Amino acid sequence: MNSTLLKRLSALAVVAFVAMGPLALFVGSAQAAYKATPYQTSRKNAGTPNSDVVKTDANGVVIQYGNSAITYSSPSPSLAKLGQALYLQNCASCHGNEANGIPANGTSGAFPNLVGLGPATIDFWIESGRMPAANPRSIQALRRYPRLSHDQALAVTAWVNSLSPSYPGIPSPNLAIANVSDGAALFALNCAACHTIEGDGDALASGTYAPSLRHVPAFQVAEAIRTGPGNMPRFTGNLSDYQVNDIVKFVTTQIQHPTNIGGFGLGGLGPVAEGFVGLALGVGLLALIGFWVGERH
Amino acid sequence: MTDVLNTKRAKQAALGPYGRVGKSLDELDDRLGIAKGGRTFLDKIFPDHWSFMLGEIALYSFVVLMVTGVFLTLYYIPSQAIVTYHGGYLPLDGQKVTQAFSSSVDLSFAVRGGLLMRQMHHWACDIFVGAIVVHMARVFFTGAFRKPRELNWTIGGTLLILAIVNGFLGYSLPDDLVSGTGIRIAYSIILSIPVVGSYLGFLVFGGNFPGTAIIPRFFILHVLIVPLIIIGLVTAHMALLLRQKHTQFPGEGRTENNVVGSPMFPVFMAKTTGFLFVISGITALLGAFAQVNPIWQFGPYDASRISYAVQPDWYMGFLDGALRIWPSWSFHSFGFTIPWEVFIPAVLLPGLIFNIVFAWPAIERRFTKDDAMHNLLDRPSDRPKRTAAGVAMLALLGMLFIASSTDVMANFFHVSLNTVLWTMRVLCITAPFVAYPITYKICKELQAVKGGGKRKTPNVVTRTAEGEYVATPAPVYVDDLHHGHEPTEVPKFFPADTEEPGDSGVRVVER
Repeated sequence: MNSTLLKRLSALAVVAFVAMGPLALFVGSAQAAYKATPYQTSRKNAGTPNSDVVKTDANGVVIQYGNSAITYSSPSPSLAKLGQALYLQNCASCHGNEANGIPANGTSGAFPNLVGLGPATIDFWIESGRMPAANPRSIQALRRYPRLSHDQALAVTAWVNSLSPSYPGIPSPNLAIANVSDGAALFALNCAACHTIEGDGDALASGTYAPSLRHVPAFQVAEAIRTGPGNMPRFTGNLSDYQVNDIVKFVTTQIQHPTNIGGFGLGGLGPVAEGFVGLALGVGLLALIGFWVGERH
Repeated sequence: MTDVLNTKRAKQAALGPYGRVGKSLDELDDRLGIAKGGRTFLDKIFPDHWSFMLGEIALYSFVVLMVTGVFLTLYYIPSQAIVTYHGGYLPLDGQKVTQAFSSSVDLSFAVRGGLLMRQMHHWACDIFVGAIVVHMARVFFTGAFRKPRELNWTIGGTLLILAIVNGFLGYSLPDDLVSGTGIRIAYSIILSIPVVGSYLGFLVFGGNFPGTAIIPRFFILHVLIVPLIIIGLVTAHMALLLRQKHTQFPGEGRTENNVVGSPMFPVFMAKTTGFLFVISGITALLGAFAQVNPIWQFGPYDASRISYAVQPDWYMGFLDGALRIWPSWSFHSFGFTIPWEVFIPAVLLPGLIFNIVFAWPAIERRFTKDDAMHNLLDRPSDRPKRTAAGVAMLALLGMLFIASSTDVMANFFHVSLNTVLWTMRVLCITAPFVAYPITYKICKELQAVKGGGKRKTPNVVTRTAEGEYVATPAPVYVDDLHHGHEPTEVPKFFPADTEEPGDSGVRVVER
């Protein structure tokens, strides 16, 4: 082989090797820049790795992003003034006037800092009725009838988000394109270990529990998956928007309206209810009939 | 005298008093000698007390199990080969599932009457095991297991174990998410046995969990081997019952040497056949209207997936409960691990309980030094120690059973799971010791009640001419009197055999 070619190739290799440093720096900074967009998954903006639509307002703040499966949007900043009033009325006693949390009994973070949590988190807690909490000291807030209306929840969300605009936005899943079968498989893999395969939820350790999914609207299911409320893990990078959409479809159809072709569903409690029916209605009734047929003294 | 040979009446007369049926039976008897055995069988006396019907529930639900089970085998495919599901249940469409699961879902959705049969089979199983337990409790508390019936008690206990085992095997066959978790637990229990556990696990599963052999193996065990043993033991159970005759409650006219009740034909036969239809009817109603084990909602088993809040069927509950509440003790040393938290509750505990059950007749005989034959039953209150011991055992089992739903209770009553767990630990240990003295005391009190166990007769209040009211006890119910129970006359169709003198060297034996 030509020796000059070898020399040129080795020179090229040395240049490439030396160039790696600046290149790595460049890629690193590019990734750092990339992190500021809603595409990455950090604590601050748990979100959506595969958005192809991003809308910003006049100030360059992202107000909507997403793809054909889920669109995430932030509530209009014009609601923020109303939101602040509602916040001060309903939330400030625990989370503080600046929404930055209050240490309770000397422990910091007992009432969490809300700044930068993103609209989906704030909206989920208010719209599922968990906040304002019935008992702020309880280990897990109960799902109940919401104290604030949908518009009021959006207003509070808008104000909290205006303090430090963040992600994820409030998701609206597009169930029309979802695949319920993929959703069933993903649900069994990711959700059933706590919420049970029938979606009834169950008790976890030390007074916490995985709540029932029977009456949760679609957008709240998506919010919970993306933000991880309470003990629930935050599902970000490992589930794409399409997969979240599939799960939401499965939950809102098969979990909430199960195919009970076998008769009464017995509350979806499984063998506990079945054993009760089998023993009380089966053995018990038959023993009673035996009692009727036989001699009774 | 007119010749009437050709009339219908004459033909009937020629056939004898029992008509064509009698004639053909007669022919059979000439060749097979069925009359002797048949008479014993048809005249077998069954006591009428209702508690004697409990065992029949078990027997007839086993019949329902066999009939529905045969139907299920026609459509079920015992294979763990992976197929892509394309069936009637949309949320599973396109998922990779085992053939066992796919065929079970198709059985529920595509086969006409398949789901009804599947659900009837499952309900009949729940009833079968339940009836065995209730029947066993009746036998225990009335002392029917005493000499000469210890062997039948042992057979009954073995049948209970086999019923539980076969129920578990059948529960595992659809290979759905919930039952797969059960197989996983069974594998762990096998592994927990010291020294031989890992070898035994590989032997049963044909390799590591889950493998592809366990469903076909469970299938053969479930539909052939265990049912064969059950049928054999049920036959032995019934044969011993015929041979040793029934026990009966004491009463007027009832002694250790007789049996008071209705004969097999026609009274008992009518009653028991009706009961068979009632049992299959109620099983069919449950199968039609109460959904059981909706495997399509659970999805296929995959070792990477698990559902929370999974309980076994009720008869495995005491094992599951013991596993749940046992503290996490284990031994790690010299390169070995012995998981006591699995081995003790899941292997030693059921072994101990069933050994007590099997040994009970011997234990009781040792303490009472009672070696007599017993055909008359005890009232439970007459034997307070035995009754209290039985109730204590049932209390322990009941608490273990309840402990298998710790999570459901915690969720339902909104209490901490840890609290429920510790409550169940305390209850399981204390319940037997609370149940024993309470039962003992109640028995003692019942013994003191005058006329206990007898039906009370009303007082007849009459007003005399002077306007005075006089209360006189009404006479005892006629049903309660067992005076003058003469055995029913057995019709004799054939002259008694006369012994013919045989030649020397030829033995003559009675047929």
